[in-house]
Amino acid sequence: MVDEDKLRDLKERIETAKSINTPLTKQNKESGAGFGFKISTEIIAALVVGVGIGLIVDKYLGTKPFGLIIFFIFGALAGFLNVYRVMRRIEKQ
Amino acid sequence: MASKGEKHSPLEQFEIIPFSNTEIAGYDISFTNSSLSMIITVAFITLFLTLTVNPRSLVPSRMQLVSELMYNFIATLLSDTVGNNGKKYFPFVFSLFMFVLIGNMVGMVPYQFTFTSHIIVTFALAAIVFIGTTILGFANHGIKFFSFFYIPGVPFYMHPLLIPIEVISYLSRPISLSVRLFANMLAGHTLLKVFAGFVVAMPFFTGVFPLVFIVALTGLEILIAFLQAYVFAILTCLYINDAYHLH
Repeated sequence: MVDEDKLRDLKERIETAKSINTPLTKQNKESGAGFGFKISTEIIAALVVGVGIGLIVDKYLGTKPFGLIIFFIFGALAGFLNVYRVMRRIEKQ
Repeated sequence: MASKGEKHSPLEQFEIIPFSNTEIAGYDISFTNSSLSMIITVAFITLFLTLTVNPRSLVPSRMQLVSELMYNFIATLLSDTVGNNGKKYFPFVFSLFMFVLIGNMVGMVPYQFTFTSHIIVTFALAAIVFIGTTILGFANHGIKFFSFFYIPGVPFYMHPLLIPIEVISYLSRPISLSVRLFANMLAGHTLLKVFAGFVVAMPFFTGVFPLVFIVALTGLEILIAFLQAYVFAILTCLYINDAYHLH
């Protein structure tokens, strides 16, 4: 039948299309810039929170500048922790 | 169309233009170009999903397939990260994903405003996720939710140091979630406009090169628009998972 020929032709075409496409999907990895962005936002976000808490503590407890200094360091450490967690999550995949 | 006196800053595209001057109880709630693009986004999502799924055919048409693909995408994402508990949160994660995705895509249309390039919008979305998952954590574990900040198997003298770090790390979630989306969209759209400026500014036919670059960059921007919506959705799933399984 004509339909069967058509189907076989279609099947062949799908297979060739697949064989062309497979190597392309393998190299589908994230760009370096996107990766850097992810890491840097993690550090910045933790630092922003740390500095914010430090400033609030200083304002209400009158411990200027020690609250800022201590919570800045805590914020930086939390940033490293965030980066470590992101890296571990990526490694798992 | 470089009419005289018009400024051509690459950041001009992010300007909020109010269409009306509405004020209620001292708060400015004017209808702006940002609100307009949000309405376009929601209307597009609603119309697209309802119209394409409406025939309910067993062998789906192309457009129905797109809708089903998106449904499957979020459904597998949720079941992979949260497990069986995740099914309840499908409507939430799906609406969030679609809103961010279509919002980014609407922003890719020329002359259209990108509302995800404003930190207040992305921060509001991230705050919903953050507050929601925190309430969920307390609802599931009660006061034991605070043990989330307590890492077992660490010498006791390390806890005064580790607990503030864990708390700051937890509080930084909405900020990193919102800044990532906002910064990606802002940077991408600014870059497009800067290179578009080069097309006009460069002498003779050399303006063709930045033009070719813009075409490639637009493709990359569409990829980033999708990727950021995906990242937003997967992080929401992970936070929901954290609210169920502490560590």
